[in-house]
Amino acid sequence: MKVKDVPQDDEFLQPDGDVLLRDRTYALDDEGKYREVPSAGWAPKNEAIKFSLSNKGEEALEVRKDVLAGKYSPLMYHMIRLVMTTRILADYTGLSKRKIHKLCKPKHFASIKSDELFRIADAMNISVEELTSID
Amino acid sequence: MEINFEHRHAAHCENGVVRNLLNFYGIKLSEPMILGLGSGIFFSHMPFYRLNGMAMTSFRPFPGSIFSRVTHALGIEVQWHKFKDPDKAMAKLDEVLAQGTPVGLRVGVYHLAYFPKEYRMHFNAHNLCVIGKEGDEYIISDPIGMNKNRLSAENLKKVRFAKGNTPPEGRMYYIKSTEHYKPLNAHMLNRAVLKTCSDMLGIPFPMFGAKGIAYLAKRMRKWERLYGERGAAMNLAQVIRMLEEIGTGGAGFRFMYAAFLQEASEFLNKPEWNQLSMELTEVGDLWRDFSYHAARFFKKREGIILSYDDIADKLEIISARETEVFRKLENSVKRGY
Repeated sequence: MKVKDVPQDDEFLQPDGDVLLRDRTYALDDEGKYREVPSAGWAPKNEAIKFSLSNKGEEALEVRKDVLAGKYSPLMYHMIRLVMTTRILADYTGLSKRKIHKLCKPKHFASIKSDELFRIADAMNISVEELTSID
Repeated sequence: MEINFEHRHAAHCENGVVRNLLNFYGIKLSEPMILGLGSGIFFSHMPFYRLNGMAMTSFRPFPGSIFSRVTHALGIEVQWHKFKDPDKAMAKLDEVLAQGTPVGLRVGVYHLAYFPKEYRMHFNAHNLCVIGKEGDEYIISDPIGMNKNRLSAENLKKVRFAKGNTPPEGRMYYIKSTEHYKPLNAHMLNRAVLKTCSDMLGIPFPMFGAKGIAYLAKRMRKWERLYGERGAAMNLAQVIRMLEEIGTGGAGFRFMYAAFLQEASEFLNKPEWNQLSMELTEVGDLWRDFSYHAARFFKKREGIILSYDDIADKLEIISARETEVFRKLENSVKRGY
Protein backbone atom coordinates (compact mmCIF):
# COMPACT_ATOMS: atom_id res chain seq x y z
CA MET A 1 0.00 0.00 0.00
CA LYS A 2 1.19 3.50 -0.87
CA VAL A 3 1.03 6.47 1.51
CA LYS A 4 -1.43 8.27 -0.75
CA ASP A 5 -3.80 5.25 -0.70
CA VAL A 6 -4.20 5.20 3.08
CA PRO A 7 -7.98 5.37 3.65
CA GLN A 8 -9.57 8.01 5.90
CA ASP A 9 -13.18 6.90 6.32
CA ASP A 10 -14.24 7.91 9.80
CA GLU A 11 -17.81 6.86 10.46
CA PHE A 12 -18.21 6.14 14.14
CA LEU A 13 -19.04 8.75 16.73
CA GLN A 14 -16.53 8.69 19.55
CA PRO A 15 -17.99 9.34 23.00
CA ASP A 16 -14.80 11.03 24.18
CA GLY A 17 -13.61 13.17 21.27
CA ASP A 18 -10.38 14.19 23.05
CA VAL A 19 -9.00 10.66 22.91
CA LEU A 20 -9.26 10.55 19.11
CA LEU A 21 -9.06 6.83 18.44
CA ARG A 22 -7.15 6.25 15.27
CA ASP A 23 -5.71 3.40 13.30
CA ARG A 24 -2.09 3.66 12.29
CA THR A 25 -1.26 2.19 8.94
CA TYR A 26 2.15 1.32 7.59
CA ALA A 27 2.48 2.33 3.98
CA LEU A 28 5.22 2.75 1.39
CA ASP A 29 6.31 6.18 0.22
CA ASP A 30 7.64 6.95 -3.25
CA GLU A 31 11.15 5.79 -2.41
CA GLY A 32 9.95 2.40 -1.18
CA LYS A 33 10.44 3.23 2.50
CA TYR A 34 7.81 2.43 5.11
CA ARG A 35 6.06 5.36 6.76
CA GLU A 36 3.52 5.46 9.59
CA VAL A 37 0.29 7.18 8.63
CA PRO A 38 -2.62 7.64 11.05
CA SER A 39 -5.82 6.46 9.43
CA ALA A 40 -9.37 7.21 10.50
CA GLY A 41 -10.77 3.93 9.22
CA TRP A 42 -11.58 2.06 6.06
CA ALA A 43 -14.98 1.65 4.41
CA PRO A 44 -14.97 -2.19 4.03
CA LYS A 45 -14.09 -2.58 7.70
CA ASN A 46 -16.75 -0.10 8.77
CA GLU A 47 -19.28 -1.94 6.63
CA ALA A 48 -18.37 -5.26 8.27
CA ILE A 49 -18.81 -3.73 11.73
CA LYS A 50 -22.11 -2.08 10.79
CA PHE A 51 -23.33 -5.29 9.20
CA SER A 52 -22.79 -7.36 12.35
CA LEU A 53 -24.45 -4.67 14.45
CA SER A 54 -27.46 -4.25 12.17
CA ASN A 55 -27.89 -8.02 12.13
CA LYS A 56 -28.08 -7.98 15.92
CA GLY A 57 -30.56 -5.09 15.66
CA GLU A 58 -32.82 -7.05 13.33
CA GLU A 59 -32.64 -10.08 15.57
CA ALA A 60 -33.53 -7.89 18.54
CA LEU A 61 -36.54 -6.44 16.71
CA GLU A 62 -37.83 -9.95 16.03
CA VAL A 63 -37.43 -10.81 19.70
CA ARG A 64 -39.22 -7.56 20.60
CA LYS A 65 -42.32 -8.83 18.80
CA ASP A 66 -42.13 -12.01 20.86
CA VAL A 67 -41.82 -9.92 24.01
CA LEU A 68 -44.96 -7.98 23.10
CA ALA A 69 -46.70 -11.29 22.43
CA GLY A 70 -45.76 -12.43 25.92
CA LYS A 71 -43.34 -15.16 24.85
CA TYR A 72 -40.16 -13.66 26.31
CA SER A 73 -39.34 -11.12 29.01
CA PRO A 74 -37.68 -7.73 28.26
CA LEU A 75 -34.40 -9.21 29.52
CA MET A 76 -34.18 -11.40 26.41
CA TYR A 77 -34.63 -8.37 24.15
CA HIS A 78 -31.91 -6.37 25.92
CA MET A 79 -29.55 -9.33 25.91
CA ILE A 80 -29.77 -9.63 22.11
CA ARG A 81 -29.67 -5.85 21.59
CA LEU A 82 -26.56 -5.38 23.71
CA VAL A 83 -24.73 -8.41 22.24
CA MET A 84 -24.73 -10.26 25.57
CA THR A 85 -24.86 -14.00 25.97
CA THR A 86 -26.29 -15.99 28.85
CA ARG A 87 -22.85 -17.17 29.87
CA ILE A 88 -21.22 -13.75 29.93
CA LEU A 89 -24.17 -12.21 31.78
CA ALA A 90 -24.03 -15.04 34.31
CA ASP A 91 -20.30 -14.37 34.82
CA TYR A 92 -20.87 -10.64 35.38
CA THR A 93 -23.82 -10.95 37.74
CA GLY A 94 -22.83 -14.05 39.69
CA LEU A 95 -26.22 -15.59 38.93
CA SER A 96 -26.31 -19.03 37.37
CA LYS A 97 -26.82 -19.55 33.65
CA ARG A 98 -29.96 -21.48 34.45
CA LYS A 99 -31.30 -18.55 36.45
CA ILE A 100 -30.70 -16.09 33.59
CA HIS A 101 -32.37 -18.50 31.21
CA LYS A 102 -35.38 -18.68 33.52
CA LEU A 103 -35.58 -14.90 33.81
CA CYS A 104 -35.96 -14.69 30.04
CA LYS A 105 -39.52 -15.94 30.54
CA PRO A 106 -42.17 -13.34 31.55
CA LYS A 107 -43.55 -15.51 34.36
CA HIS A 108 -40.23 -15.60 36.23
CA PHE A 109 -39.21 -12.07 35.28
CA ALA A 110 -42.34 -10.76 37.01
CA SER A 111 -41.18 -12.10 40.35
CA ILE A 112 -37.52 -11.05 40.05
CA LYS A 113 -35.81 -9.79 43.20
CA SER A 114 -34.77 -6.13 43.14
CA ASP A 115 -31.17 -7.10 43.97
CA GLU A 116 -30.98 -9.39 40.93
CA LEU A 117 -32.54 -6.72 38.73
CA PHE A 118 -29.96 -4.21 39.88
CA ARG A 119 -27.08 -6.60 39.23
CA ILE A 120 -28.26 -7.42 35.72
CA ALA A 121 -28.81 -3.73 34.88
CA ASP A 122 -25.33 -2.92 36.17
CA ALA A 123 -23.72 -5.66 34.10
CA MET A 124 -25.47 -4.38 30.97
CA ASN A 125 -24.66 -0.76 31.75
CA ILE A 126 -28.30 0.35 31.54
CA SER A 127 -30.75 1.64 34.16
CA VAL A 128 -33.29 -0.59 35.88
CA GLU A 129 -36.17 1.30 34.20
CA GLU A 130 -34.64 0.61 30.79
CA LEU A 131 -34.21 -3.05 31.61
CA THR A 132 -37.84 -3.54 32.60
CA SER A 133 -39.27 -1.81 29.50
CA ILE A 134 -38.73 -2.45 25.79
CA ASP A 135 -38.80 1.08 24.39
CA MET B 1 -0.06 12.59 40.54
CA GLU B 2 1.08 11.94 37.01
CA ILE B 3 4.23 10.17 35.91
CA ASN B 4 6.27 12.01 33.29
CA PHE B 5 5.43 9.51 30.56
CA GLU B 6 5.60 10.16 26.85
CA HIS B 7 2.33 9.08 25.27
CA ARG B 8 2.74 7.96 21.69
CA HIS B 9 0.13 6.71 19.30
CA ALA B 10 0.64 3.20 17.92
CA ALA B 11 -1.14 0.85 15.56
CA HIS B 12 -1.45 -2.13 17.87
CA CYS B 13 -2.33 -1.84 21.54
CA GLU B 14 0.14 -4.40 22.89
CA ASN B 15 3.07 -3.21 20.76
CA GLY B 16 2.23 0.34 21.71
CA VAL B 17 2.20 -0.36 25.44
CA VAL B 18 5.48 -2.29 25.25
CA ARG B 19 7.10 0.42 23.14
CA ASN B 20 5.95 3.24 25.44
CA LEU B 21 6.99 1.34 28.58
CA LEU B 22 10.45 0.64 27.17
CA ASN B 23 10.70 4.25 26.04
CA PHE B 24 10.02 5.34 29.64
CA TYR B 25 13.13 3.41 30.68
CA GLY B 26 15.19 4.97 27.91
CA ILE B 27 15.08 2.05 25.47
CA LYS B 28 14.10 3.45 22.10
CA LEU B 29 12.67 0.93 19.65
CA SER B 30 10.15 1.43 16.87
CA GLU B 31 6.78 -0.28 16.82
CA PRO B 32 7.54 -2.63 13.89
CA MET B 33 10.75 -3.63 15.68
CA ILE B 34 8.72 -4.59 18.77
CA LEU B 35 6.36 -6.61 16.59
CA GLY B 36 9.27 -8.39 14.92
CA LEU B 37 11.16 -9.08 18.15
CA GLY B 38 7.96 -10.34 19.76
CA SER B 39 7.13 -12.53 16.73
CA GLY B 40 3.72 -10.89 16.68
CA ILE B 41 2.50 -12.12 13.31
CA PHE B 42 0.48 -15.29 13.05
CA PHE B 43 -2.60 -16.84 11.55
CA SER B 44 -5.12 -19.24 12.97
CA HIS B 45 -8.67 -20.19 12.16
CA MET B 46 -10.32 -22.32 14.80
CA PRO B 47 -13.91 -23.41 14.08
CA PHE B 48 -14.10 -25.18 17.45
CA TYR B 49 -13.29 -21.99 19.40
CA ARG B 50 -16.18 -19.56 19.28
CA LEU B 51 -16.10 -15.80 19.59
CA ASN B 52 -19.54 -14.13 19.62
CA GLY B 53 -20.93 -17.42 18.34
CA MET B 54 -18.67 -17.53 15.29
CA ALA B 55 -15.45 -19.34 14.48
CA MET B 56 -12.40 -17.55 15.79
CA THR B 57 -9.93 -16.18 13.26
CA SER B 58 -6.83 -14.57 14.62
CA PHE B 59 -3.89 -12.77 13.08
CA ARG B 60 -1.85 -12.52 16.27
CA PRO B 61 -0.36 -14.92 18.79
CA PHE B 62 -1.80 -15.28 22.26
CA PRO B 63 -2.15 -11.89 24.05
CA GLY B 64 0.76 -11.08 26.33
CA SER B 65 3.28 -13.05 24.31
CA ILE B 66 4.74 -10.01 22.54
CA PHE B 67 5.52 -8.36 25.90
CA SER B 68 7.08 -11.55 27.29
CA ARG B 69 9.16 -12.29 24.20
CA VAL B 70 10.48 -8.75 23.77
CA THR B 71 11.45 -8.28 27.41
CA HIS B 72 12.95 -11.77 27.55
CA ALA B 73 15.05 -11.12 24.45
CA LEU B 74 16.30 -7.78 25.77
CA GLY B 75 17.03 -9.20 29.23
CA ILE B 76 14.56 -6.95 31.05
CA GLU B 77 12.98 -8.14 34.29
CA VAL B 78 9.22 -7.81 34.45
CA GLN B 79 6.52 -8.49 37.01
CA TRP B 80 3.07 -9.92 36.29
CA HIS B 81 0.10 -9.97 38.65
CA LYS B 82 -3.26 -11.66 38.40
CA PHE B 83 -6.10 -11.22 40.91
CA LYS B 84 -9.31 -12.81 42.08
CA ASP B 85 -10.46 -9.85 44.18
CA PRO B 86 -11.12 -6.57 42.29
CA ASP B 87 -10.40 -4.41 45.36
CA LYS B 88 -7.00 -6.01 45.89
CA ALA B 89 -6.27 -5.51 42.19
CA MET B 90 -6.98 -1.77 42.45
CA ALA B 91 -5.01 -1.45 45.71
CA LYS B 92 -1.98 -3.12 44.10
CA LEU B 93 -2.27 -0.81 41.08
CA ASP B 94 -2.28 2.25 43.40
CA GLU B 95 0.70 0.90 45.32
CA VAL B 96 2.83 0.38 42.21
CA LEU B 97 1.74 3.73 40.70
CA ALA B 98 2.73 5.51 43.90
CA GLN B 99 6.30 4.30 43.39
CA GLY B 100 6.33 6.13 40.06
CA THR B 101 6.13 3.04 37.87
CA PRO B 102 3.85 3.09 34.82
CA VAL B 103 1.69 -0.05 34.78
CA GLY B 104 0.37 -1.98 31.81
CA LEU B 105 -3.09 -3.49 32.15
CA ARG B 106 -5.03 -6.02 30.17
CA VAL B 107 -8.69 -5.04 29.89
CA GLY B 108 -11.91 -5.97 28.12
CA VAL B 109 -13.37 -3.38 25.75
CA TYR B 110 -17.10 -4.06 26.27
CA HIS B 111 -17.44 -1.51 29.07
CA LEU B 112 -14.56 0.79 28.09
CA ALA B 113 -16.10 4.28 28.35
CA TYR B 114 -14.20 6.06 25.57
CA PHE B 115 -14.77 3.45 22.87
CA PRO B 116 -17.51 4.05 20.28
CA LYS B 117 -20.36 1.60 20.75
CA GLU B 118 -19.57 -0.07 17.42
CA TYR B 119 -16.18 -1.21 18.71
CA ARG B 120 -17.48 -2.55 21.99
CA MET B 121 -17.52 -6.29 21.60
CA HIS B 122 -16.57 -8.92 24.12
CA PHE B 123 -12.88 -8.70 23.34
CA ASN B 124 -10.74 -9.17 26.42
CA ALA B 125 -7.20 -8.65 25.19
CA HIS B 126 -6.91 -4.90 24.90
CA ASN B 127 -3.85 -3.34 26.54
CA LEU B 128 -3.43 0.10 28.02
CA CYS B 129 -1.05 1.84 30.33
CA VAL B 130 -1.93 3.64 33.57
CA ILE B 131 0.36 6.56 34.22
CA GLY B 132 -1.21 8.50 37.06
CA LYS B 133 -4.09 9.10 39.41
CA GLU B 134 -5.93 12.28 40.30
CA GLY B 135 -8.64 11.97 42.92
CA ASP B 136 -10.91 9.20 41.72
CA GLU B 137 -9.69 9.28 38.13
CA TYR B 138 -6.86 7.40 36.51
CA ILE B 139 -4.78 8.91 33.74
CA ILE B 140 -4.60 6.43 30.90
CA SER B 141 -2.23 6.24 27.99
CA ASP B 142 -4.08 4.08 25.48
CA PRO B 143 -1.79 3.61 22.46
CA ILE B 144 -4.64 3.53 19.96
CA GLY B 145 -5.80 7.01 21.01
CA MET B 146 -3.94 10.03 19.68
CA ASN B 147 -4.14 11.68 23.13
CA LYS B 148 -4.05 10.67 26.77
CA ASN B 149 -7.33 10.29 28.55
CA ARG B 150 -8.97 9.67 31.89
CA LEU B 151 -11.05 6.85 33.24
CA SER B 152 -12.98 6.67 36.50
CA ALA B 153 -11.86 4.11 39.08
CA GLU B 154 -15.23 2.40 38.85
CA ASN B 155 -15.01 1.97 35.08
CA LEU B 156 -11.41 0.81 35.25
CA LYS B 157 -12.34 -1.81 37.81
CA LYS B 158 -15.11 -3.04 35.58
CA VAL B 159 -12.99 -3.35 32.45
CA ARG B 160 -10.16 -5.04 34.36
CA PHE B 161 -12.59 -7.70 35.46
CA ALA B 162 -14.43 -8.11 32.18
CA LYS B 163 -15.98 -11.51 31.58
CA GLY B 164 -16.24 -13.78 28.58
CA ASN B 165 -13.60 -15.75 26.69
CA THR B 166 -10.10 -15.44 28.18
CA PRO B 167 -11.09 -12.99 30.96
CA PRO B 168 -8.29 -10.55 31.88
CA GLU B 169 -8.69 -11.28 35.62
CA GLY B 170 -7.16 -7.92 36.54
CA ARG B 171 -3.84 -8.77 34.93
CA MET B 172 -1.21 -6.07 35.33
CA TYR B 173 2.46 -5.92 34.36
CA TYR B 174 5.36 -3.56 34.76
CA ILE B 175 9.10 -3.43 34.28
CA LYS B 176 11.01 -4.27 37.44
CA SER B 177 14.58 -3.54 36.42
CA THR B 178 16.64 -2.92 33.32
CA GLU B 179 19.88 -3.97 35.01
CA HIS B 180 20.64 -6.82 32.60
CA TYR B 181 19.53 -4.95 29.49
CA LYS B 182 21.21 -6.07 26.28
CA PRO B 183 21.04 -3.73 23.27
CA LEU B 184 19.47 -5.02 20.08
CA ASN B 185 21.76 -7.36 18.13
CA ALA B 186 21.72 -9.66 15.11
CA HIS B 187 21.34 -12.80 17.21
CA MET B 188 18.08 -11.57 18.77
CA LEU B 189 16.63 -10.60 15.41
CA ASN B 190 17.56 -13.96 13.84
CA ARG B 191 16.03 -15.85 16.74
CA ALA B 192 12.83 -13.82 16.61
CA VAL B 193 12.53 -14.30 12.85
CA LEU B 194 13.10 -18.06 13.17
CA LYS B 195 10.40 -18.21 15.85
CA THR B 196 8.00 -16.39 13.51
CA CYS B 197 8.85 -18.74 10.63
CA SER B 198 8.35 -21.81 12.78
CA ASP B 199 4.96 -20.44 13.91
CA MET B 200 3.93 -19.72 10.35
CA LEU B 201 5.27 -22.93 8.77
CA GLY B 202 5.98 -25.56 11.37
CA ILE B 203 2.83 -26.23 13.42
CA PRO B 204 1.53 -29.66 12.37
CA PHE B 205 -2.19 -28.80 12.40
CA PRO B 206 -4.06 -27.48 9.37
CA MET B 207 -5.57 -24.44 11.12
CA PHE B 208 -2.37 -22.66 12.16
CA GLY B 209 0.20 -20.67 10.21
CA ALA B 210 0.27 -19.86 6.51
CA LYS B 211 -1.50 -23.12 5.57
CA GLY B 212 -4.29 -22.08 7.99
CA ILE B 213 -5.32 -19.48 5.42
CA ALA B 214 -5.98 -22.27 2.92
CA TYR B 215 -7.89 -24.07 5.64
CA LEU B 216 -10.05 -20.98 6.14
CA ALA B 217 -10.64 -20.94 2.37
CA LYS B 218 -11.73 -24.57 2.48
CA ARG B 219 -14.18 -23.84 5.32
CA MET B 220 -15.43 -20.71 3.56
CA ARG B 221 -16.62 -22.73 0.58
CA LYS B 222 -18.93 -24.65 2.93
CA TRP B 223 -20.25 -21.65 4.88
CA GLU B 224 -23.40 -21.01 2.83
CA ARG B 225 -24.34 -24.67 3.11
CA LEU B 226 -23.58 -24.84 6.84
CA TYR B 227 -24.91 -21.53 8.16
CA GLY B 228 -27.23 -20.19 5.46
CA GLU B 229 -26.77 -16.91 3.61
CA ARG B 230 -26.95 -14.62 6.65
CA GLY B 231 -24.81 -16.85 8.86
CA ALA B 232 -22.15 -17.05 6.16
CA ALA B 233 -22.09 -13.26 5.81
CA MET B 234 -21.80 -12.92 9.60
CA ASN B 235 -18.80 -15.24 9.60
CA LEU B 236 -17.20 -13.29 6.78
CA ALA B 237 -17.81 -10.03 8.67
CA GLN B 238 -16.04 -11.56 11.65
CA VAL B 239 -12.98 -12.38 9.53
CA ILE B 240 -12.85 -8.83 8.12
CA ARG B 241 -13.20 -7.35 11.60
CA MET B 242 -10.30 -9.42 12.89
CA LEU B 243 -8.24 -8.54 9.83
CA GLU B 244 -8.81 -4.79 9.81
CA GLU B 245 -10.09 -3.91 13.28
CA ILE B 246 -8.19 -1.04 14.90
CA GLY B 247 -4.80 -2.29 15.90
CA THR B 248 -3.44 -4.30 13.02
CA GLY B 249 -1.60 -1.58 11.10
CA GLY B 250 -3.50 -2.71 8.01
CA ALA B 251 -4.06 -6.19 6.56
CA GLY B 252 -3.66 -8.17 9.77
CA PHE B 253 -0.11 -7.02 10.70
CA ARG B 254 1.28 -7.90 7.25
CA PHE B 255 2.27 -4.30 6.49
CA MET B 256 3.73 -3.80 9.94
CA TYR B 257 5.82 -6.96 9.66
CA ALA B 258 7.00 -5.82 6.25
CA ALA B 259 8.07 -2.54 7.88
CA PHE B 260 9.98 -4.60 10.46
CA LEU B 261 11.77 -6.58 7.75
CA GLN B 262 12.78 -3.34 6.07
CA GLU B 263 14.11 -1.86 9.31
CA ALA B 264 15.94 -5.10 10.18
CA SER B 265 17.46 -5.29 6.70
CA GLU B 266 19.00 -1.84 7.24
CA PHE B 267 20.13 -2.74 10.75
CA LEU B 268 21.79 -6.01 9.68
CA ASN B 269 22.74 -4.79 6.22
CA LYS B 270 20.84 -7.63 4.58
CA PRO B 271 19.33 -6.35 1.32
CA GLU B 272 17.53 -9.65 0.71
CA TRP B 273 15.23 -8.94 3.67
CA ASN B 274 14.19 -5.69 2.04
CA GLN B 275 13.24 -7.74 -1.02
CA LEU B 276 11.15 -10.05 1.20
CA SER B 277 9.59 -6.97 2.80
CA MET B 278 8.35 -5.87 -0.63
CA GLU B 279 6.97 -9.37 -1.28
CA LEU B 280 5.12 -9.30 2.04
CA THR B 281 3.74 -5.88 1.11
CA GLU B 282 2.30 -7.44 -2.03
CA VAL B 283 0.69 -10.13 0.13
CA GLY B 284 -0.75 -7.34 2.30
CA ASP B 285 -2.21 -5.73 -0.79
CA LEU B 286 -3.81 -9.08 -1.69
CA TRP B 287 -5.38 -9.17 1.80
CA ARG B 288 -6.75 -5.67 1.25
CA ASP B 289 -8.15 -6.76 -2.11
CA PHE B 290 -9.81 -9.69 -0.34
CA SER B 291 -11.42 -7.41 2.28
CA TYR B 292 -12.59 -5.01 -0.39
CA HIS B 293 -14.36 -7.74 -2.34
CA ALA B 294 -15.66 -9.44 0.79
CA ALA B 295 -17.23 -6.17 2.00
CA ARG B 296 -19.48 -6.26 -1.07
CA PHE B 297 -21.42 -9.04 0.60
CA PHE B 298 -22.59 -6.56 3.23
CA LYS B 299 -23.21 -3.50 1.10
CA LYS B 300 -24.36 -4.12 -2.41
CA ARG B 301 -22.43 -1.65 -4.50
CA GLU B 302 -22.09 -1.29 -8.24
CA GLY B 303 -19.97 -3.91 -9.97
CA ILE B 304 -19.54 -7.62 -9.81
CA ILE B 305 -20.33 -9.43 -6.59
CA LEU B 306 -18.10 -12.44 -6.20
CA SER B 307 -19.20 -15.75 -4.73
CA TYR B 308 -17.69 -17.39 -1.66
CA ASP B 309 -15.80 -19.71 -3.99
CA ASP B 310 -14.15 -16.73 -5.69
CA ILE B 311 -12.96 -15.08 -2.50
CA ALA B 312 -11.82 -18.46 -1.18
CA ASP B 313 -9.65 -18.70 -4.31
CA LYS B 314 -8.09 -15.37 -3.34
CA LEU B 315 -7.28 -16.75 0.10
CA GLU B 316 -5.61 -19.81 -1.41
CA ILE B 317 -3.33 -17.57 -3.44
CA ILE B 318 -2.50 -15.58 -0.30
CA SER B 319 -1.74 -18.80 1.57
CA ALA B 320 0.69 -19.93 -1.12
CA ARG B 321 2.38 -16.52 -1.29
CA GLU B 322 2.81 -16.28 2.48
CA THR B 323 4.25 -19.78 2.68
CA GLU B 324 6.75 -18.78 0.01
CA VAL B 325 7.75 -15.54 1.79
CA PHE B 326 8.28 -17.18 5.17
CA ARG B 327 10.08 -20.15 3.59
CA LYS B 328 12.53 -17.74 1.96
CA LEU B 329 12.92 -15.84 5.23
CA GLU B 330 13.67 -19.05 7.12
CA ASN B 331 16.24 -20.09 4.53
CA SER B 332 17.92 -16.69 4.65
CA VAL B 333 18.56 -17.14 8.37
CA LYS B 334 19.35 -20.86 8.44
CA ARG B 335 21.34 -21.24 5.26
CA GLY B 336 22.33 -17.71 4.46
CA TYR B 337 20.47 -17.27 1.15
